[in-house]
Amino acid sequence: MSPRTLDVLIVEDEMLLAIELEHLVEEVGCHPAGLAMSSEEAVALAQSLQPDLALVDVHLSDGPTGVDVARKISSDCGGVALFMTANVKRLPEDFAGACGVIGKPYSEHGVKTALSYLAFCLTEGHVPGPVPVGLTLAPAYAALWGLGEALPESA
Amino acid sequence: MDNHSESRRAEDRLAGHGVDDPFAAAVRASRMAMVVADAQKADSPIVFANDAFLRLTGYERDEVIGRNCRFLQGPETDPEAVAALRQAIAGGEDIAIDLLNYRKDGSTFWNALYLSPVRDDAGEVVYFFGAQLDVTDKKAIEFRARDHSDGLQQAVDDRADELSKALEQKTALLHEVDHRVKNNLQLISSLLLLQNRRVADPALKASLKGMLGRVNAIATVHRRLFQSEDVERFDVSAFIRDMVADLMGSTARDDIEVGLDLERVDIPASKAAPFALVVNELLTNCVRHGFPEGRGGRILISVRRQNGDFRIEIADDGVGFDKDAKPSGFGLTIVQLLCQQLKAKYETADAEPGARVVVLLPVNGAH
Repeated sequence: MSPRTLDVLIVEDEMLLAIELEHLVEEVGCHPAGLAMSSEEAVALAQSLQPDLALVDVHLSDGPTGVDVARKISSDCGGVALFMTANVKRLPEDFAGACGVIGKPYSEHGVKTALSYLAFCLTEGHVPGPVPVGLTLAPAYAALWGLGEALPESA
Repeated sequence: MDNHSESRRAEDRLAGHGVDDPFAAAVRASRMAMVVADAQKADSPIVFANDAFLRLTGYERDEVIGRNCRFLQGPETDPEAVAALRQAIAGGEDIAIDLLNYRKDGSTFWNALYLSPVRDDAGEVVYFFGAQLDVTDKKAIEFRARDHSDGLQQAVDDRADELSKALEQKTALLHEVDHRVKNNLQLISSLLLLQNRRVADPALKASLKGMLGRVNAIATVHRRLFQSEDVERFDVSAFIRDMVADLMGSTARDDIEVGLDLERVDIPASKAAPFALVVNELLTNCVRHGFPEGRGGRILISVRRQNGDFRIEIADDGVGFDKDAKPSGFGLTIVQLLCQQLKAKYETADAEPGARVVVLLPVNGAH
């Protein structure tokens, strides 16, 4: 599969994590479009860059504002948010409009697999197969991308 | 009509004998307050009251005779008790009930009333016989006991409330610590990855990759640890499934097939990290030495209970042990040290073809 190049916004206040994440985004064939460390920067960048995908940490430099950022991005900026957080259990049930979550600590392979999988979903509109280990899809997106239907076929 | 003579006549009728009858004398002189009401007259008026009744209520005899007993009730008398009394009277049944009654001077007393109908030969209720006992002291003790018990209940409720708040705080703290541990592991892993990007020396790169694998194994443990409800236990098989997916995925060796035969096995959370490191070394070793580039094959990982042990076996059909080479290296040192720490036995065998390593981890913590 060779999905089109997606613009990815990284919203993460740990600089070392953010930089490494940029490398991983590039390695799976996406384009790291920008980096934000606070909710304000994140929303401003999302509005100006209109990224396809935003990787959003819950705890940002201005507090646990990532959930609001994700909600804003999915409602106002036309993009899809994906949480990357150590506190998966604390996310709202509707994932604040985000398409899913990668739990921290993630591995290099885990992130790359998840990003490739999502790139496919975003460009093709359906899942390529079962969800890889480390990624959890929001119920709304699992339904949108036909996860339930895809599973029996691939099994 | 003279109330006194009416009362006296009633006594006589009750006793069935004259005024000198010892039975009537006993009723008159008893310390137990007693009244008799005429059931066949309108509103059942009192026709007899003994001296104990008059002493108890503070009324004179002529103030009592001819009235219905309800004059003893007052504003604080429980309407439900009164209703029960009425129902018993209407049904011609006995009743024993505690009533708050009022004396002539307005003071109250608790009256343990026993009321029973008296029937004639035809079975018709002709009289009601009432015996009254002042149980004010007993009631006071009862009320105090009830207050005391209410107080205790309150104390228990308060304590339970405090404990649930303390638990909430503890849970919040646990989440906070868990969050920090995970973020720090992420930071360590990112540091290693970043440095790995900068070095060119293959040996150094291999070292960094090795460390990264170990950090990933610990990270996988921490992702798993708080997923179950029981934070004290660690699901070995679920961990192995996650780790194999990550490790095999990152080696990008499609020519190696991994089979899993996993029984549900839990170990204490405190042993999870050393255990994860041992499995990581053994599996990495298996891939690296058993299957040199271009030599594919199959690895089978099984976890099951065997006697008093958890038996973890990693078997492969790779190139097998090099009999001449002495086992060495940092990975092996880690396995040996951590098995010692876990009180686990570690065995390797030539599987012909391939190799087999078995770790026996004691269920109860010792061999």
